[in-house]
Amino acid sequence: MARTANGIVWTVVLAAAVIASVTFAVTFGPAQISPAEVWGSILHHLGIGSTSLSPLRDSIVWDLRLPRVLTAGAVGAGLSISGVVMQAITRNPLADPYLLGLSSGASLGAVAVLLLGSALLLPFAAFLGAVIALVATLLLASAFGRITPGRTILAGIAVSALAGAVTSLIIFWTVTGDSYREILSWLLGSLAGARWPAVGIAFVAIIVAGVPIMLSGRVLDAFAFGDTSAATLGINVNATRWTLLTATALLTGAMVSVSGAIGFVGLILPHAVRLLVGPRHRLLLPLSALVGASFLIWADTAARSLFDPRELPVGIVTAIIGAPVFAALLARRRVSS
Amino acid sequence: MSGLDARQITVRLDGTLIIDGIDCSAPAGAVTALIGPNGAGKSTLLHALATVLPTSGGVIRFENDDLLTMKRRSRARTIALVEQDASTELSLSVAEVVALGRIPHLGPFADESAQDRAIVRSALDTVGMADFAHRDVTGLSGGERQRVLLARSIAQEPRLLLLDEPTNHLDISAQLSTLALLHDLAVKGVTVIAALHDLTLAAGWSDYVIVLSAGHVVAAGATAATLTPRLIDDVYGVHAEIVERPGQRPTIAFSPRG
Amino acid sequence: MPHALRTLGALTTAVLMLTGCATVAPAPAPSATSTRPLDNCGVEVPVTAPPKRVITIKSTSTEMLLALGLGDRIIGTAFQDGPLPAKWSSTTLPVLADKVPSQEVVLGANPDFVYAGWESNFAADGAGTRSDLAALGIRTYVSPAACKEAAYQPRRLTFGDIDHEIGEVATLFGVDDSALLAQQHSTLASIHKDTHGLSALWFSSGSSIPYVGAGIGAPQLILDTIGVRNIAADVKDTWASYNWESVIAANPDVIVLVDASWSTKEKKIGVLEANPATAKLDAVKNHRYLIVPFAASEAGVRTVDAAADLASQLAALERG
Repeated sequence: MARTANGIVWTVVLAAAVIASVTFAVTFGPAQISPAEVWGSILHHLGIGSTSLSPLRDSIVWDLRLPRVLTAGAVGAGLSISGVVMQAITRNPLADPYLLGLSSGASLGAVAVLLLGSALLLPFAAFLGAVIALVATLLLASAFGRITPGRTILAGIAVSALAGAVTSLIIFWTVTGDSYREILSWLLGSLAGARWPAVGIAFVAIIVAGVPIMLSGRVLDAFAFGDTSAATLGINVNATRWTLLTATALLTGAMVSVSGAIGFVGLILPHAVRLLVGPRHRLLLPLSALVGASFLIWADTAARSLFDPRELPVGIVTAIIGAPVFAALLARRRVSS
Repeated sequence: MSGLDARQITVRLDGTLIIDGIDCSAPAGAVTALIGPNGAGKSTLLHALATVLPTSGGVIRFENDDLLTMKRRSRARTIALVEQDASTELSLSVAEVVALGRIPHLGPFADESAQDRAIVRSALDTVGMADFAHRDVTGLSGGERQRVLLARSIAQEPRLLLLDEPTNHLDISAQLSTLALLHDLAVKGVTVIAALHDLTLAAGWSDYVIVLSAGHVVAAGATAATLTPRLIDDVYGVHAEIVERPGQRPTIAFSPRG
Repeated sequence: MPHALRTLGALTTAVLMLTGCATVAPAPAPSATSTRPLDNCGVEVPVTAPPKRVITIKSTSTEMLLALGLGDRIIGTAFQDGPLPAKWSSTTLPVLADKVPSQEVVLGANPDFVYAGWESNFAADGAGTRSDLAALGIRTYVSPAACKEAAYQPRRLTFGDIDHEIGEVATLFGVDDSALLAQQHSTLASIHKDTHGLSALWFSSGSSIPYVGAGIGAPQLILDTIGVRNIAADVKDTWASYNWESVIAANPDVIVLVDASWSTKEKKIGVLEANPATAKLDAVKNHRYLIVPFAASEAGVRTVDAAADLASQLAALERG
């Protein structure tokens, strides 16, 4: 089948693109460090060769740039995979990873901690917030009968609204001076704080939750014609849905905890990849991960380089790119349906 | 025994009793038509037999297997259900949709083999959609999509094939070819149960009938003997005449009562 | 000549009566040259009877009035950035609000003048728009250093700009500003500019994205005054979002920490030490920090004192 062969080609190309992205993105930055010096420093840390950089400039490469680029890749991959799964489970192409209150809950946790002044607890508070919001969403969805995708989305909207309102209240009530800047940067999504621990969190999440999701491509395809259809194809509909939802929530929660709620990646990239290789999830999942990784690496590079030495939260860049693409998506849907 | 034998099937939906303690059976190697007025519970019964709707108690046996306790994948290799109005928003190709029918055989991780692809092609040929293999399924008409889903269930290689109003969106020639196809499958040993609302088709094309009314079986048996004018009058409230001409399939002529 | 003076006096009185002021205007202060209205951030502020009931928003406004001896005219303060400097520690002023007061609260206090540190304080959802308040007979004034419109924003803040604000406020309130101006100038003259060619980061807030004093505002003025180069001087803004990579590449000799209740110097030191790259900076390893209270970091009468204080902190660092 033509699409399968195509798929292998795309996988190789996109994987190479990710590696190339990492390699080149680390050479960008406000500090004037030549690419050769950058790679020399990285190789030196990996045990190969020596570096000609001073300890401070070496620190820029190894403590700031490299972890940030790697985190961007992992977060981009994680959000894209989560987006694909949410769109499949809810059978709604406008779904994104934040649908079940995940980003609002994480934001609430993060803002509470930011205002208490403890940046160290941020990832934990954000993750806890995401999990609590998810539980609240599912409890609400089940409170009125059987859990259906439609009810779950509505419950997620309600929980998001509530968490958002409380977050806004906290900000409004307590923010002084320009403490709102830090909060805003987190709410928009920013990779500026990504150090090696963030890389660890993001990669562990990809391995623990992302890989199992990527292996469930055929199972997701079975849902194409609905639950009944999937059941007759031998899928345990409930168990599958719950497992995928939990894995997605864990993955998204982890991503949001290190980078804030970066928008549009989980919404737009699955569609872009579908245009390339079609809707079959066995291919869509891994390729979305690869495209997501490259995309966010470059979006973050733009965020920290375009207005050098000033820095933008990456969420602004993804929104600027994502909003018109989203509008185009909506237009296509209206035309076709 | 071969074929399907279901006892005491009871289904409640949102608290309402749809089917009440039904016993029914369908022999292997034959086409059994499931007929009855709207709201009789045909679709519900089919979904219950396919084990996608939960039944309160009851036993469903098929060729010495207890369908309710079978493992999911084995069951999916045994039963296929063709739903009435299933559709998708995904832009899958026709061939990809039919390939979904191989999922019970492949499991989540195995790759499709040449044999799987051959089965898919053959299924498409059987329903006359081979030329549509690379078309986008979302662009098909209702009838074309119906045939694609039928091909998908054929690709499942089921021994029990359940169909919910398979002739609904089809034009007359497609209806006849679908029914001929069901007959061919039956000849190969598949147990075919099809819910039909068109009594004429039931009369001409099924070997057995199960007649439902208000959640109960009011009659069951060989079509010629069971689908009588008297029955039709009782169940549907219309006057019917079974027309038999030599060399042709039986058909029914209707007129309103009185 | 006397005839012309009488005519001028009559005209002035007529103008004043037309603007609804019942009292006779007091003798104008020596530094005022006319009774023309002031152009304050594009809004006309008439120079009429001195205000008697003033609300101040932000510390710079409060301190300006206190420095001119006008503390008794303050009926309420709002959105103060920190405690008053030591010389006024015995002064207690009524507090109207912790943050920007709502228009109702402002009107409820029955002021005739509102003096704000930021233009944004005068929004409909804040203290009320300047035109709304003017229509109710309440004059408003914004610290000119904080004007947002490009035409009014100082290209680069100077002490001359601060002197100008002192002059305008003195005109509005009909007082003599020469003593205050003399004090400001002598403090400025007493500052020993450092000659070692040092560089500094003005760390205002933030953790992953630092918010720093940039090239055209009070931080730049202060650093220029004490003879230290601002590593962010090329950013044409008063304050700006910066990035740690540039900070590290510049390797500043000292770091100015703005101490605010919501972002204390301890928190900032924590941020610098937790970041594995900034932890390697000489300034961080050797604790070469200069501290400035948040309330003193915006342009106002405290600016020159802040500069003097930072200069002596710097000298102490270099000695010890």
